[in-house]
Amino acid sequence: MSYLAEVCLPVKAYFGHAYEVCQDVDYLFVPRIVSAAKGQYTCPEIISLPDMLRSNILKLPKMIEITVDLRKDWRSLYHAVAGGGGIFNVGKIASLYAWHQAWRMGQVQNYLPTAKKEGLSIGLIGHPYIIYDRQISMNVLDKLGNLGVNVVTPDMVEVYKAQNSAACLDKEIFWCYCSHLVGAALALMHPAQVNGLILMSSFSCGPDSLIGEIIKGRAQTLNIPFMLLTIDEHMAEAGFVTRLEAFIDMLERRTQL
Amino acid sequence: MIVTFPHMGTMHITLKALFTDLGLAVLSPPPITKKTMDIGAKYAPEMACLPFKITLGNFIEALEAGADTIITCGGVGPCRLGYYAQVQKNILKELGFEFELIAIEPNIIQVLKILYRLTPGKSWKEVYAAFRLAGAKMTALDSIEGKISNIRPREKVSGRADLLWQQSVKEIEAVQNISDVQALVGGYNEKLNKVELKWDYEPLRIGIVGEIYVMLEPFANQDIVRQLGKMGVEVHKTMFLTDYVRVHLQRSRQYYNAYQQIVDLAKPYLGHYVGGHAIKSIGCTVEMSKAGFDGIIQVFPFACMPETIAKNILPKVSKEVNMPLLSLAFDEQSGEAGVLTRLEAFIDLLQYRRSKKIVQ
Repeated sequence: MSYLAEVCLPVKAYFGHAYEVCQDVDYLFVPRIVSAAKGQYTCPEIISLPDMLRSNILKLPKMIEITVDLRKDWRSLYHAVAGGGGIFNVGKIASLYAWHQAWRMGQVQNYLPTAKKEGLSIGLIGHPYIIYDRQISMNVLDKLGNLGVNVVTPDMVEVYKAQNSAACLDKEIFWCYCSHLVGAALALMHPAQVNGLILMSSFSCGPDSLIGEIIKGRAQTLNIPFMLLTIDEHMAEAGFVTRLEAFIDMLERRTQL
Repeated sequence: MIVTFPHMGTMHITLKALFTDLGLAVLSPPPITKKTMDIGAKYAPEMACLPFKITLGNFIEALEAGADTIITCGGVGPCRLGYYAQVQKNILKELGFEFELIAIEPNIIQVLKILYRLTPGKSWKEVYAAFRLAGAKMTALDSIEGKISNIRPREKVSGRADLLWQQSVKEIEAVQNISDVQALVGGYNEKLNKVELKWDYEPLRIGIVGEIYVMLEPFANQDIVRQLGKMGVEVHKTMFLTDYVRVHLQRSRQYYNAYQQIVDLAKPYLGHYVGGHAIKSIGCTVEMSKAGFDGIIQVFPFACMPETIAKNILPKVSKEVNMPLLSLAFDEQSGEAGVLTRLEAFIDLLQYRRSKKIVQ
């Protein structure tokens, strides 16, 4: 039985995943990621994932809920790793080694910048759990690739560049990844490295509703085309493709002028 | 310099008293109307929450009326409120307004700097006196309002309590010193005690939990407190401006401990602070079930992140503590009739439940 309502699409997908595996496992790993950087939070829905799971899925297996909160204390990650290992009677050193292995794998799998081809390039701004998920994003990366444009994602923008660009905002953004998203978008626009920007956001995403406005405002001043694509579970593919095509047609016409 | 600020229930009276006493020229935004909300919704991002849209409408109307300085709040997240000021500033700049926006962040040094800049030549004693008067007005309004929601469902001739409420708001707004405010509270308490009541009537008791702006601003919540009162229901709001100031700004020990108790009650259901008032909504639901309430209504702006979380957890709480629950999300398209119908249905259900209890 589930009452899940009004949350964003990625959280719904998360629930789907959790529901599918929860009957077949002894433990469910649901870390509570409160913050991944000093002075910042992840979004409230991410913070409350373990609680929402517990309230909406009956017969949950045992949950491994470790809290990572780097907002005030950078050692929180160490405590989380060591504590997580402790649940399985693994020592601190071994836990840290396992974490290090996992971290290295993560580095390898990051989306690497591809060699730049001729033609238009588009900045695709969005949370990684949206734009890299084929189902949620309707495979937007491949679709844009097939349309013959180079796609730049926020991960391809160096962190220090994004931070420098974000520093010109009136107030630091207090959502961890959003801060990078805005910084990356601003860095791509000034100096202009892309012909247009697409912000892909899920319906009812709180942080994106405000940072979208910041990016849109800046794009307007710099005269860079900007499109907001809002996704939810009712989205149909045809409408989605039409909008991408129209946007690219418009960019092509702009370059010919 | 003419100062303005956003509306939230009767907050403008408190703020007006404060800024006037600090020696600033004040212009309250015109009262919230449908037009305010329409203007706000027109220029705000589509997915922004309702308070963002209404306060943006307030600012536009106040700037058009001649204000040139906006004082509003900041925050540290994760609720969106903390970033309102910056986005609203950009939108207003784009619309071509000339103004200064001052966002008060929860940082005592920054607050003192702003005070120092805004009130040149005022001694700290005068500043303190201004805060005292504003605080007295706030407490007075909240105490009278609390009493009125108690009387409204029980009064013999309906409308008496509301009339007194409107009078008291006007008079409290007009007076200039603390002793007058206290005299007014005493006077109105007496008048309210004299309102004729139906003594044999035992009204349903409903607690309202949820997000502070929608709870305190009658325009945002379709005047739900008064509507329920007229239907003969005793309503307890779990959020008053006074509570908020005492718990979060002054950290008054007595209020803070009460808040901590509520957080502890919510712990089994929501284990971490998620911004806004989600923890309080859940904790208060548990607390009110123990206090023998008949039902809970949760009010919040559509797509409010913390309250959406509470909304997804509250059904389980409701089941476990055996407490009927109605969640109402509000946005600029909420209609009065739709809300009324749902309230009526909810009250019917509560009455049926009570009669069943009596039979057993």
